[in-house]
Amino acid sequence: MNKTKDLNLIVAGVGGQGSVLASHIVADAAVRAGLKARVGETFGAAMRGGAVSSHIRIGEDVQGPLVAEDKLDILIALEPLEGLRIGVKYLSPTGIAILNTKAVPSIDVNIGKATYPEISTIVSSLERLCKKVVAIDATGLSIKSGSAKTLNMLMLGMAAATELLPFPIEILKETIRERVPKGTEDLNMKAFDVGYKAAKELL
Amino acid sequence: MVHVVAEDKIGKRTLLMGNEAIARGAIEAGIQLAAAYPGTPSSEVMETLATVADDLGFYAEWSTNEMVAFEVASGAAITGVRSLVCMKNAGLNVVMDMFMTLVYSGVRGGYLIVVADDPGAHYSSNEQDTRFAAMYANILCFEPANQQEAKDMARIAFELSEKFELPVFLRSVTRLSHASGDVTYGDMRKEKRKAIFDRHWKLPYRWNVYGPPSTVSKHVWLFSRAPLVKEFVESTEFNTLEIVKGARVGIIASGIGSSYAREAVRGLGLDGRVSFLKIGTPYPLPEKKIGQLLNSVEKVIMIEEGDPVVEMQVRALSNSLAPGRKISGKMAIDQILNPYDELTPNVVAAAIAKFLDIKFEEISKSRLEAKAEIRKLVAPRSSTLCAGCPHLGTYWALKVALRRSGGKVWIVNGDIGCYEQGGYGIFATKLAPSFVDHSVKYDIDTPYDTLDTNYIMGGGIGLSQGEFHAKYEDGAIVAVAGDSTFFHACMPAIVNAVYNKAKVTFLVLDNAWTAMTGHQPNPTTGMTAMGQQSPIFRIEEIVKSLGAGLVKVADPYNLKEAREAIEEGIKYPGVSVIITRRLCTLQYLREARKSKTKIVPYAVNKEKCTGCKICIQLGCPAIDFEDGSKKAGIDPLTCTACDMCAQLCPFRAISPGGSQ
Repeated sequence: MNKTKDLNLIVAGVGGQGSVLASHIVADAAVRAGLKARVGETFGAAMRGGAVSSHIRIGEDVQGPLVAEDKLDILIALEPLEGLRIGVKYLSPTGIAILNTKAVPSIDVNIGKATYPEISTIVSSLERLCKKVVAIDATGLSIKSGSAKTLNMLMLGMAAATELLPFPIEILKETIRERVPKGTEDLNMKAFDVGYKAAKELL
Repeated sequence: MVHVVAEDKIGKRTLLMGNEAIARGAIEAGIQLAAAYPGTPSSEVMETLATVADDLGFYAEWSTNEMVAFEVASGAAITGVRSLVCMKNAGLNVVMDMFMTLVYSGVRGGYLIVVADDPGAHYSSNEQDTRFAAMYANILCFEPANQQEAKDMARIAFELSEKFELPVFLRSVTRLSHASGDVTYGDMRKEKRKAIFDRHWKLPYRWNVYGPPSTVSKHVWLFSRAPLVKEFVESTEFNTLEIVKGARVGIIASGIGSSYAREAVRGLGLDGRVSFLKIGTPYPLPEKKIGQLLNSVEKVIMIEEGDPVVEMQVRALSNSLAPGRKISGKMAIDQILNPYDELTPNVVAAAIAKFLDIKFEEISKSRLEAKAEIRKLVAPRSSTLCAGCPHLGTYWALKVALRRSGGKVWIVNGDIGCYEQGGYGIFATKLAPSFVDHSVKYDIDTPYDTLDTNYIMGGGIGLSQGEFHAKYEDGAIVAVAGDSTFFHACMPAIVNAVYNKAKVTFLVLDNAWTAMTGHQPNPTTGMTAMGQQSPIFRIEEIVKSLGAGLVKVADPYNLKEAREAIEEGIKYPGVSVIITRRLCTLQYLREARKSKTKIVPYAVNKEKCTGCKICIQLGCPAIDFEDGSKKAGIDPLTCTACDMCAQLCPFRAISPGGSQ
């Protein structure tokens, strides 16, 4: 736990993966822990399937909702291409990227007008941009742990494993329990723990 | 459970989105009526209020357009109750007539006008700065720097409005409305006022701007309110001045711009070295504080989101208060910031560094090179309509109908809604290919380059008539609009088309919801903002009574039926209206989930598929093309079993479950 420094996070993904909820849970947990927090959302016009990224800033000195370029401490990429899109702009050389390796191709790729980069290329590119990349097939893990819909909470578990979040993990867990849809609490908590454990092994 | 914004807990500290914070402020002030038309990034103000209206005992509605919403809220305000109206930047253009005139009578109950601008045009057709409108109307304009201020300003606005007897304007921006921050709650005013009407309240014929003695006398009254407003802006803590003794440079920053500016000052190590005036009321400005700042420094940096609204006023004030100051912002003289696109932390920090000629933390050359290399790998993710969206069917049918219409260059006039994506293009396309470059059989391309023009709500149907009366003859003239847009601004234009004898084809894409802004109900939905049932308006009945000569309703999921209806419309020698009606897919999926209806996704029979890619051209995001096998595929997780791709597959390779 690091309480002295401001912390910048971005959750990047594709519409429908739950990046907005994940980012609100992190910021909400920070507020519950007595810290100041901001969340800035950027989503495309499409209701589903568009690129979505959510900036989270925690710390006593934060004012605006946007992370400055090259100042991103933790990237939580629910989708690899979106992780690269955000990572190349925002990742700090001292930052850490938590990457789901399961691709969701864009329509441009589907109709043959663009090429989806190799996952290994995405990982090595992110490694050039930051200090550490934790890459896991988080979609696969979430399905194994019970539901693909818990991908976002599983990856929050991975983020918690970095021990960079400036508040106790119990507060984060309590916030998750309160904010995920009723009836899915246990499933989401299980996913969180699975993600936490998987990331710990790689960190 | 009570919604978090309705909790009666003084001192509660919670994370709220800017729009929720504005709603909370209005709740604390005890509003009795709220009206709005949805528009990103403003919609959540009303969505939040509508959710809690019943519990808290006030009235909330989604109106048919912003002008109606403005009038509804104005009506409440002149009867003495607290009311709020909310809209996006472009929505304010629709209300200008009433807005500019209401200020001549003023209001009796507190009246808050909330407008969310969209610098960067994330969700809008322009980047207009509506602070100008508050100045134009001569009323107080608030501009919050964060979510706490958004709540506090919205709350105090009602009290001030009653004191000034004028509406108060709150200008938000995307990065405030759609960002969240910690907010501490105040108490909730519980008093409900009885609506009263006093025709001569404080002024003769108060609520009739034509009433005696004259309209000009009411304009004189408007100016008489100015000292009260000025007194407030000089004393409020929303405008804060920090003079650093000996500092030669001052920063004047407004709203969210002040948040970026404060971070830049710290990041550049300028804490305690520059004076800072944070503005929360861009109109009118706290002239005394500005005078104090100007007189204590030599140079001033202006930071604000949008147009140089504060800067223009500061420059003018500087001429009389402190001539000779160097002032830099977005205006041409000594410009340090672009007068377009939105501010970012980097843009603001770089501008301040440039102005002061100090080193801005720069990224190394090798890192920049690595970034440029990596950027090339990042494939685009173009915005699309949803899998199974009925608009995909309408656009497919329209494109085939147009090709068969015999014209050389048709014009499809677009409008505002999800279907505007029919003009976004697929961004990876370097240049839209002309049809002749494709094989004759499959040259429809995607639906994402269907629309030829697009400006504003209701604009397409009007444009089409001008194109006709200009004697455009090289192809069919078509306009498209959605159901909510139809009620918002299309009906007068249809009457105009009929009465003035235009020959145009108007497509109404009716999916029963105002979908793009997050699914608000409208007169085709059968439900009000507060969840009451209401009769469904049938667009075909309306356009028939408006005099349209040919009116057809078609199912966009039936591609042949839709295509034939549109072809008939194009051939018709007058005003034809084709309504393609099918429930929004997302609503269909919600209903299916509730009723536990099983959706059997479609699949491609790989033996029958020849890789012709015609299904790809439907533009459905559930359909992909596998490079290796050169066959189409369907994502079973997103397929909604709409059947459209199966209908257009020439080889009958697509079927439910792919059982063939």
